[in-house]
Amino acid sequence: MIKVYPSAERHQVDLGWLRSRPSFSFGQYFDPANTAFSVMRVCNHDEIDGGRGFGPHPHSDMEVVTIVLSGQIKHEDNLGNAVVTEAGGVQRMTAGTGIVHAEYNASATEPLNLLQLWFMPRERGLAPSFEAKRYDESKLANAWLPVVAPEGSEQAAKIHQDMTIYMSRLDAGKQLSFEQKAGRSAYLYVIEGQLQVNNSSLANGDTARITDTPRLELAANAPTHLMLIDLP
Amino acid sequence: MKEQFLVKHAVGGRTFLDSDKTELTYHYEQAGASWVFSIELPQNETVEEILKWKEELNVFLFHTSADQPTKKIWFYVKDGPVDYDEGAGLLRITAQSRIEYVPDSFGFTS
Repeated sequence: MIKVYPSAERHQVDLGWLRSRPSFSFGQYFDPANTAFSVMRVCNHDEIDGGRGFGPHPHSDMEVVTIVLSGQIKHEDNLGNAVVTEAGGVQRMTAGTGIVHAEYNASATEPLNLLQLWFMPRERGLAPSFEAKRYDESKLANAWLPVVAPEGSEQAAKIHQDMTIYMSRLDAGKQLSFEQKAGRSAYLYVIEGQLQVNNSSLANGDTARITDTPRLELAANAPTHLMLIDLP
Repeated sequence: MKEQFLVKHAVGGRTFLDSDKTELTYHYEQAGASWVFSIELPQNETVEEILKWKEELNVFLFHTSADQPTKKIWFYVKDGPVDYDEGAGLLRITAQSRIEYVPDSFGFTS
């Protein structure tokens, strides 16, 4: 089943300095029927003004992934990490037994555009840790590029869960397929573009939650930037 | 020193209790490696929500004074226990860890 969530129906937050599109319940937006998909708990598409961001706050027992789409984010934490990540980069924070961090736009003037994703870890009580990776954006062209994976790699951050985050950029008219193993789920996000997925159509900002679909056939009707997450 | 007491959902930060917004009678004490918070509350939707999400709770104490930077103390509830005594009208939250931080010590604070 492919269940499409149109962008127009997604909750919107506008705090002036932050424009956020949460896919799941977050903050004071709470829908008891929309708190998780598989181990996925949060998918926020945030645009943050220059010089603004989120001050120090804690996390625990959660794998927090930040994918920078444009601009630069700075992460600071109580482990001593202070890292700036720009477009083409991914941050993974294992909150585990507890971490305090701040995350904010590293530029005083340019906006920051990112996806922030939270996943329940394979087990609770992990040691807190942080890493940032940069991937080769040319490898996104008409292919699946894993940017977060359980094993990690030179260009993919390691996550403590049985899941993989793929990014791709499809040219108009190009196709791509994905085999979904039995019992697994997939989350699809069209960051920009127009896409046909089997019999479903998705455009800018649309998402889909996919189960019991052995094969996905994706065809881009326009240049399309997308993310696919293979979930347990 | 002013103290603010909060109970929030660890996923997304939804606020369940905030002593700055609602008058609350509470006290807390250390019990071995744990911290036990006792809050006087009538049985209501807030109590039900806290119990529903009892494995994903954060408890905070914010300490503010005129001559010191604000100190935040974060208690992670983890496995609790969290329970409600209907007869006494008492919510009891046991937290498993405590981390103290000073927001001003970070490069960004708001």
